[in-house]
Amino acid sequence: MSQVSLSREEAIIGQLKARFPEAIEETKIDRARRVTIHFEKDHVQEIAMFMRDELGFDHVKGVAGVDLPTQKKIEVLYFAGSYSNAEVQDFIVILKAKLPRDNPIIASVVSVWESAHFHERETFEMFGVKFEGHPDLRKLLTLDNWEGPPPMLKDIKFPEMGQR
Amino acid sequence: MTTEPPSPGISISKTAEPSTLDVSVGPQHPGSGHCRILIRVDGDYIVSADPDIGYVHRGCEKIAEYRNYVSNIPHLERPNIADAIHLNWGYVLPIEELQGVVVPPRGKYISTIAAEMNRIMSHLYGLAIMQGVFSGHTTIFMWAFGDRDLFIELAEMLTGARLTYSFLVPGGPRRDLPFGFEDRLSRLLDYFEKRLVEYDRIFFSNPSVIARAKGIGVLKREDAKKLGVVGPVLRASGVKYDVRKVEPYGAYADLEFDIPTFEEGDSYSRYLIRFEEMKQSVRIIRQALEKIPKGPIARKAPLVAPEGEATGRVESSRGEITYLVMGDNSDKPSRVKIMNGSFRNLIALPFLVRNVHVADMPIIYGSLDYWPVEADR
Amino acid sequence: MSQDTLQDFAGVWIGKMSELVQTIIGSGPIKYIVNWSRMYALWPVHITTACCSAEFGAMMGPRLDPERFGMQAVAGGLRQCDLLIVEGTVTKKMAKRLKIVYEQMPKPRYVIAMGDCACSGGLFHDSYSIVNDVHKLFPIDVYVPGCPPRPEALLSAIVKLREKIRRQEVFA
Ligand code: SF4
Repeated sequence: MSQVSLSREEAIIGQLKARFPEAIEETKIDRARRVTIHFEKDHVQEIAMFMRDELGFDHVKGVAGVDLPTQKKIEVLYFAGSYSNAEVQDFIVILKAKLPRDNPIIASVVSVWESAHFHERETFEMFGVKFEGHPDLRKLLTLDNWEGPPPMLKDIKFPEMGQR
Repeated sequence: MTTEPPSPGISISKTAEPSTLDVSVGPQHPGSGHCRILIRVDGDYIVSADPDIGYVHRGCEKIAEYRNYVSNIPHLERPNIADAIHLNWGYVLPIEELQGVVVPPRGKYISTIAAEMNRIMSHLYGLAIMQGVFSGHTTIFMWAFGDRDLFIELAEMLTGARLTYSFLVPGGPRRDLPFGFEDRLSRLLDYFEKRLVEYDRIFFSNPSVIARAKGIGVLKREDAKKLGVVGPVLRASGVKYDVRKVEPYGAYADLEFDIPTFEEGDSYSRYLIRFEEMKQSVRIIRQALEKIPKGPIARKAPLVAPEGEATGRVESSRGEITYLVMGDNSDKPSRVKIMNGSFRNLIALPFLVRNVHVADMPIIYGSLDYWPVEADR
Repeated sequence: MSQDTLQDFAGVWIGKMSELVQTIIGSGPIKYIVNWSRMYALWPVHITTACCSAEFGAMMGPRLDPERFGMQAVAGGLRQCDLLIVEGTVTKKMAKRLKIVYEQMPKPRYVIAMGDCACSGGLFHDSYSIVNDVHKLFPIDVYVPGCPPRPEALLSAIVKLREKIRRQEVFA
């Protein structure tokens, strides 16, 4: 794998870094066609806009949350992909932002990527992440009067169901 | 969302305009279960729709965190039982990437054959129920289900189960092709190709089907890109995007096949695209049976995955499935995230049913081939 | 005779009449005729709770053809149905609706629990949104284990249920 040229991946990272020198915290090329970018959470909409308009990443494949209880953080992941730009069609760019665990708030990207609508709702429900500016942030999957904590957090256990 | 979704719950007294009415479709309705769509109608037209899903939400992602890698396979393929092998494969790919295991070529070919058989079965299921029954066509239901059973028999011969195969584990498939399998499969494909012509005559060229589905629920190319729909729904809108081509996995890089696309983006072209894909699947299986190399089928893979994360994706019958698997040096994943076709296509439903007749909603719903269990996980 | 006593009189008589009818129907050949006709009119509700529905579809297909046992493929409304097949996992969200569906069905009604999930929780027994004890929602006549059960197993459950109906009392 190491022989494969990673110039396209580096080009994307280079463009993002040139545009947002302070917002991009860390970048990583996982392998060919996979790029991970850690960014500062306040810049999510600008970065999304740049990705869509300049780089051609016109949709998100999903929005995921990852709970990191040891660091007291919740990470939000955006899996951006492209249909229109043939150059980067095979890429998945993973944008990651870390939010504080006790008050996870981030701006919604629905105004940029409409495809994030249901994914953000799901992440809100499963991790309690509030997406500010989301047009319709309601519970989606769990019981309609689910009152418990967001179920996907690591320290939430359901002992009555026999979980360890 | 471009429309204003109605408030949750049925609130007939609180409708926005005096002429509108909120109707709850599901979870028990003649078409299908496990999904409720709250629609607001004005006369015979749908003003807006609000899908209320989650009736089959079983917490797969949470369960995956406290079972180990291999025992996760059975429950992660349950979300789409008609398409089990793709869900299985999508989960196994990132684990193999984390562990650095490379599947031997014969294993890749066997997985490809099984996956394409599964694609045919899944499309036949969709043709029978989602497209046949929903447009009131019972003959195609009987025909497609009868032929699907023939494929199921062969899948049972290969994997040992009718629908829930758990066939791929990290390292490769569980079994080699059984004795006499190739012969039976190629005879079945001969039969199936003849049947496809008859399907065309009875269903796809049927004037009543064309009258019901043509021009209904048009998803334009720009909208399809913007909404991020996947799979047949995307390709019926004219976007040529298929994971088998853009990021070949398995044996797809060695095989020749086309990606059918249509420009119209209406329900009828979404019906047709699955029909064309079945033809391509037949072509792929034929080639794979011819080219399959000799050798080992699987490598030994460790039960533990190192720290790190990997994203793998496959093209299932309902579109691209992306799995994120995070390992933490133990035998259990620390996070599994599933992004599948049904959940991503769900957004097209409220978009498409606006300003259509209530009677057209089943057609549009069926043409999306939405599988509620997959979307809910 | 005053109005009240007339009503009492009629009430007693109507009660007696219905008892009489019940005894006539509940005994002898009429009972068998009633049960026989019920046996051949098992219409399932079309509510699919989870993935077992794929095998339910296969059972409804041309291979096994349950219509020879009088099962109609898709009945229109709940009021025409007398068989509820719980096709797999019942989530907490679905359990509420399932109970409503069951209560809306006319009597006599029968329930088949299909799949490990509906029998005892099955593969997802430790999930946070699952109802493991479906039998607490309503009584279940036949259990069909398997994940998913083969369509033949479901058909044999229906044959078993018919056997049960054949022997039952008319007014249970
Ligand atoms: S028993 Fe198996 S197939 Fe049936 S609903 Fe449960 S998990 Fe799905």
